[in-house]
Amino acid sequence: MGGVLDFISNTLGGLWNDSGLNALFSAGGWKNLVMILVSFIFMYLAIAKEFEPLLLLPISFGMLLTNLPMAGLYHPELWVLVDGHVDYGTVLRDGGLLDVLYLGVKLQLYPPLIFLGIGCMTDFSPLIANPKSFLLGAAAQGGIFFTFVCAGLLGFTAAEAGSIAIIGGADGPTAIYVSTRLLTGGGSITTGNIALAAYTYMALVPIIQPPIMRALTTKKERSVKMEQLRTVSKTEKIIFPIAVTLIVSLLVPSAAPLVGMLMFGNLLKESGVAARLIDTAQNALMNIITIFLGISVGATTQAEQIINLKFGGVMLLGVIAFSLGTACGIIFGKIMYIVTKGKVNPLIGSAGVSAVPMAARISQKVGAETDPTNFLLMHAMGPNVAGVIGSAVAAGVLLSVIG
Amino acid sequence: MNMTVMMLAEKVLKGTEKLSGVEIASMTIIGLGIVFSGLLILVAFLYLSGGIFKKADAAKKKSASAPAAAPAPVKAAPAKQAASATAAEDDEEVIAVISAAIAAMGEADGKQYRLHSVKPVTRGGGNGRSAWAQAGIHDATRPF
Repeated sequence: MGGVLDFISNTLGGLWNDSGLNALFSAGGWKNLVMILVSFIFMYLAIAKEFEPLLLLPISFGMLLTNLPMAGLYHPELWVLVDGHVDYGTVLRDGGLLDVLYLGVKLQLYPPLIFLGIGCMTDFSPLIANPKSFLLGAAAQGGIFFTFVCAGLLGFTAAEAGSIAIIGGADGPTAIYVSTRLLTGGGSITTGNIALAAYTYMALVPIIQPPIMRALTTKKERSVKMEQLRTVSKTEKIIFPIAVTLIVSLLVPSAAPLVGMLMFGNLLKESGVAARLIDTAQNALMNIITIFLGISVGATTQAEQIINLKFGGVMLLGVIAFSLGTACGIIFGKIMYIVTKGKVNPLIGSAGVSAVPMAARISQKVGAETDPTNFLLMHAMGPNVAGVIGSAVAAGVLLSVIG
Repeated sequence: MNMTVMMLAEKVLKGTEKLSGVEIASMTIIGLGIVFSGLLILVAFLYLSGGIFKKADAAKKKSASAPAAAPAPVKAAPAKQAASATAAEDDEEVIAVISAAIAAMGEADGKQYRLHSVKPVTRGGGNGRSAWAQAGIHDATRPF
């Protein structure tokens, strides 16, 4: 009888020691508890407030899974460089589910594949009809480089500064692509930190941008009605993705995976002969990659990586990056307003920060506040899609310079 | 530009090292410079190709309108008549459908309605846009 009781108590003791509850209430377990609560907040924002739910929900659930003590779904120690390389054999042999899914992030497969789907869904006609929009898309990338200055001055390393700065591109896949390449493990900032900041602020674009737009423009500028855009021929739409791929990839080869896949998707769309491929790329493939990307990026947000002062710095610089990007776009819009003698509404400049199509809708909304009969949406879509190309070029520059 | 690209290929900044003031300043200038010059090349390309396509379009329109004017009005008349006949049939169908919809609505209310006239909506009522364009704009710009 005594032996049975001993066996039961030993087994129960062992089970308790191996349980997540025990780990949760042991030293340092509070950090996991905090992260689990944070994941609940993100789930609430995604479900109740519909803030970027397609990405925020997988990220928040990945955050929940990775912070469950003892569950062993993700092991950051497997991703630390050995002799300058990740030991992928060990990852496949000893890794958990989320480690295996994270391979697609680490090997930079997911972001270009997402860009393929985005390319299939994007209409570049407003940009082709009004090529000046490209300049607004370029100006808004000022947010990336001026944030690089701030991060450098605050003492972040070159790789960290580049990864934080790319948040200003307001483009999730680009931010993940750059930070995965630059942050090769061992540092106090991870891709998860960058992705979390980028997606949080992308969801908050409707709150961050309008005050800056109103502060930097006059009522007269906001009420400018722009000329209707010309119709773009099918041939022009087909030539565009090929030309952009050639020009951008020859100039900044590091941007080729992102720009190349974006333009490949767009060529599929505009060619009109690959309906089945477009359907797969923009629906099934895009959805699968979004789930894998979201949940595995969420997995990198382990308590130790998030609950520290450096992450506070990332969040602070992230909002600065978004604000500076918006301001640079608006200021360049004002310059174009002056140069064109009032033909360009500066509000479309803020759409240059990517965040498609939300940033363009903000331009429309703020313009309509001043004059409800003013429809800026199509005009803002030009800088908006130019911003995607611009941030990919900026990402290429960062990757080329920082090693 | 080639020189810049060559320099960049050598990875100027080491990722693990902190940045000096000079490095920060030059990175910002180079970065913005390359983004602007890359997109400026695209702007130039689009203006160039846009100009060519506009000219080609104009030439096409000219050549298309020239032979169309040649056939005498003898042929045009029956075509017009046929078109107006089809339009009239279309109108009758539309009116029949509207009447049926109203009758169905009346059945549900227990009342009888009579259709007096059907007029096409003139542009200008909604900022010069058709009802479909209005619906499209409303859909694309609804509050978020």
